[in-house]
Amino acid sequence: MEMLLMGAVLSMFGLAVTCLAFGAATHEEPATETEKEAVKAAAASARFFAAVPALPVAAANRVPIEALLLQIENHVRLEQAAAACFLESPSATALHGRTISSLVN
Amino acid sequence: MIDADLLKGLPPAEAERVLALGKRMLLTTGAELFHLGDAASSLYLVARGRIRLTLPMQVRNREEDILVEERSSGQTVGWSALTPPYRFTLTAAAPLETEVIALDREALNAYFAAHPDTGYAVSLNLASVIGQRLQLFQAMWLREVQRMVESRCA
Repeated sequence: MEMLLMGAVLSMFGLAVTCLAFGAATHEEPATETEKEAVKAAAASARFFAAVPALPVAAANRVPIEALLLQIENHVRLEQAAAACFLESPSATALHGRTISSLVN
Repeated sequence: MIDADLLKGLPPAEAERVLALGKRMLLTTGAELFHLGDAASSLYLVARGRIRLTLPMQVRNREEDILVEERSSGQTVGWSALTPPYRFTLTAAAPLETEVIALDREALNAYFAAHPDTGYAVSLNLASVIGQRLQLFQAMWLREVQRMVESRCA
């Protein structure tokens, strides 16, 4: 009988220790304002339509503006040619055919 | 006589009569024919040379005229002159010495009122010019949207 009671007491003690350990592991301290802002910012940036990564400013500025304007003009001509091909023979493949434009490759 | 897209299907003598309503203009290299936002009172047929049609765009905080389309001999420029609110929606300039025939809206309207068959034929040709441009830019726009979707959902 004594052994049985001893076992029951030890079981209760073990259960109490387990509950305390679980409570300590899952307990959340109230977040500070700074932490809340950080969490908000992280959540905001994790949208489905994430922002397009911008070309590094230094890299973009290395191209002389005249060259950039020529690239844009070349891009427009290639896009018009691609669109004209689509109008000649309309199909989904023709509509989305790739060009060699440096602005999109 | 120039082979103008606007006068397609007209008997040669009738096309000559329409062209006779116009005034020939010679543009030196770099000369501007009309500017974005200007009042549009004349339609232009390119007799020889080339016309660049541009729109302003901000490139590195500078406003630059970006090529949208080029028109060459026989093609029509400035059909804003025939459609309200009669304002040019592009800027047109000659990249090389170019000759155009300017057709005044009032003169055309008066002639077409007196010659409805000619007016009808020219209207159909104009609709074709406008329709082709619409389809072309519609396709270009969709290609751009496709790229945007690909870059954002990759």
